[in-house]
Amino acid sequence: MRTILQAENLTKVYRVGSVDVPALRGVSLDVEEGEYLAIMGPSGCGKSTMLHLLGGLLTPTTGSIHIDGEDLTAATDAKRTDIRRRKIGFVFQRFNLFPTLTAEGNLKLAESIHGGRDGKKGGDPERRREVLRLLQLEDKMHHKPLELSGGEQQRVALARAVVNRPALILADEPTGNLDTENSAIVLNMFQEMNYRFNQTIIMITHNPEAAAMCRRIIQMRDGQIVAPGPRVQI
Amino acid sequence: MESLVTANVRQRPVRALVSAAGVALGVCLVMLFTGLARGLSNDLERRSQNLKAEIVFTRDAGSTQLMSNAANLPVKYAEELLKIDGVAMAVPDIRYVSQGGKGFGFEQVEGVDWEQFAAMNGMSLVAGRGPQGLDEVVIDETKARNNKLSVGNELKLFGNQTYRVVGVYTPEAGPRVKMSLAAMQDALQAPNKCTWVYVKLKDPGRAVEMARKIDEALPGNKIQLTRDIITNIEKSIPYLGVFLRTLVGLSALVSGLVVMLAMYTTITERTREIGILKALGASRGFIVGEIVKEAVLISVIGVAAGFAVSFLAGYVIQRAYALPFEYSWLWGLTAALIGLLGGALGALYPAVRAANLDAVSALAYE
Ligand SMILES: Nc1ncnc2c1ncn2[C@@H]1O[C@H](COP(=O)(O)OP(=O)(O)O)[C@@H](O)[C@H]1O
Ligand SMILES: [Mg+2]
Repeated sequence: MRTILQAENLTKVYRVGSVDVPALRGVSLDVEEGEYLAIMGPSGCGKSTMLHLLGGLLTPTTGSIHIDGEDLTAATDAKRTDIRRRKIGFVFQRFNLFPTLTAEGNLKLAESIHGGRDGKKGGDPERRREVLRLLQLEDKMHHKPLELSGGEQQRVALARAVVNRPALILADEPTGNLDTENSAIVLNMFQEMNYRFNQTIIMITHNPEAAAMCRRIIQMRDGQIVAPGPRVQI
Repeated sequence: MESLVTANVRQRPVRALVSAAGVALGVCLVMLFTGLARGLSNDLERRSQNLKAEIVFTRDAGSTQLMSNAANLPVKYAEELLKIDGVAMAVPDIRYVSQGGKGFGFEQVEGVDWEQFAAMNGMSLVAGRGPQGLDEVVIDETKARNNKLSVGNELKLFGNQTYRVVGVYTPEAGPRVKMSLAAMQDALQAPNKCTWVYVKLKDPGRAVEMARKIDEALPGNKIQLTRDIITNIEKSIPYLGVFLRTLVGLSALVSGLVVMLAMYTTITERTREIGILKALGASRGFIVGEIVKEAVLISVIGVAAGFAVSFLAGYVIQRAYALPFEYSWLWGLTAALIGLLGGALGALYPAVRAANLDAVSALAYE
C-alpha cells in the first residue's frame, strides 16, 4: 500500500509577542492510501495546527512532513503552495465557498487553479459530473452559496476538494456548523468519497458518531497524540 | 462561465463604477485639454495660412502683435510701401481684442478695407455685401454657424456697442469679425492710424529679398514674413508641451490612485477569499493576476466611459462656446494607455499585499 502521508516528530511553537506558545509537542503520523482518519481531542489541543502543517499552510518548528513522496518541510513557500495545489483538498468548518460564484463557478475556479501551468484549464468534465452526481448536487449547480443550505454548501465544498483527485483531503470539523440531519448527510458523503474513489481523508471532529464512521481514530491532548487507534480493515 | 473577476465587479457595482469614473476623469482631462490645445492652434494656423500677404509691416519692434491692441502706425506708410518696386498691394489693418462674445470672453476684431483685403486673399462673400457704414461688420462662415448669425443680425463689440452683420465671407482668414478701417479707427479714436500694413508682393518667391529692400527704404520699422508669424504661434506658447505632459502625468496619478484605493478596500474586504485561494493552492502570481485583471477590467470600462464623455463634452462645449476641439489618435492612445497602466499599476501594490497575506490568518478573518 502507498503511504500518502508521513509526519515525523512535528512541533509547532507560536510566538505571541515575547511569549512562546507550544501548540504541538512532537507528533508523528503515517497515513496510507485510502485511509479515513478521525482526529479528536479537546479544543485548543493542536488539531487545527496539525492539519494546517500537513496541508502546508504553516511550517513546523521542527520535524518533517512527506506528502505522497514529496518533502513538504524542505520546500520553499512557492513549492509548498504547488504541492498543495496538486495533492491536497481542504474542507473547512465554515464552508469557505466564494460567495460571488455559483456552485459550478466554485468548482471551476478550483479546477482552473489546479490546472495551472499544466494547461488543463477546462478541468475534467466527466469527473465533475460524477462527483456532482454522488454528492447529489446536479440541480444546485447554478445556485450561489447564499441560496444553498449549510449542508448543501458543505457538499459543494467537498465536491470542490475532491474534483481534482487530490492525494489527501484535510477536513477541519466539516460538520461543526451543521445540524444533526445535515451532518449525517455530509458524513455519508465523506464516506462515499472514501469508498468510491479510495479517497484518503483526515478529518478533525468533535462528533463521536462521525468518528465512528472512520477507519481509524486518533486522540490528541496538549499537542500530543495520546491514543493512536488501531487501523480497521474493511 | 463567470470568472471570479467579473463576478467581483458585479458584486460591487457602485465601487466598480466609482473607480471607473476616476479612470474616466483622467482620460477626460487628457482628451479635452489636448483636444482644445490642438483645436485652438490648428484653428489659428488655418486662419493665418489664408492670409496671402507675404510681409507684415509694423512699427513696434517688440512683439509679434497677434494680440496687440495698439494702432500706432500711420496709414500713410501704405502709400510709401506701394512706391517700392515689387510691391503689389499694401493694405493697412487694425486688429483689436474685443471684450465680450463667446469663447474665452474675448475675440479679435479686424478693421480693414474689405475690397482690398478680399482681393489680396482671394476671399468672397457668400451672403450680403462688404462693410461700409461705421456700424457694419462682415463675419466668416464659422462665426455665422457657431453664433447662429446671418445678414441683418446684430452683435455687440467693444463691450456694448451694437454692430450689424451685413455680409458673410469665405474662407476664414484672420479674425472672424471684420469692419472697415474707418469704422475701426472711429471706434478706437485713432484717426489715420493702423496696427500694421499687409504687403502683397508681385513675386511671392522673393519675400526675403523684398523684406530687406523695404527695411532699407523705410528704416526703423519691423518687417516680418507672414510665414514666420505663423510658426511663432506655436513658439509663442512655449510651455504648452510642458503643461500637457504635466497634465498627462497627473491624470495617470489620479487613475492609479483611484484604482489603488478601490483595490485596496476590496482586498481587505476579501481577505478570507484570498485565504481560500491560498488553501486551494493558488500561486502568488495567480492571486496578483486576478486582482490586476479586475483592475484592468474596471480601467477598460473607465477608459471607454472617458472617451464617450470627452467626445460628448467636446461637442457640447464647441456648440456652446465655439471652442474648437480636435482629437488626435496619438493623444487618444496616450489617454487609453494612461487609464489602463494607471489602473494596473495602482492595483499592483494591493495585489502584492494580498499575495503576501498569511493563509491561516486570512482564513480566520471575519
Ligand atoms: N496563530 C496563533 N498564534 C498563537 N497561538 C495560537 C495560534 N493558533 C493557535 N494557537 C494556540 O495553539 C493551540 C492549539 O490551537 P489549535 O490548533 O487551533 O487547536 P484546536 O484546533 O485543537 O482547537 C491553542 O492553545 C491556541 O491558542
Ligand atoms: Mg480547531
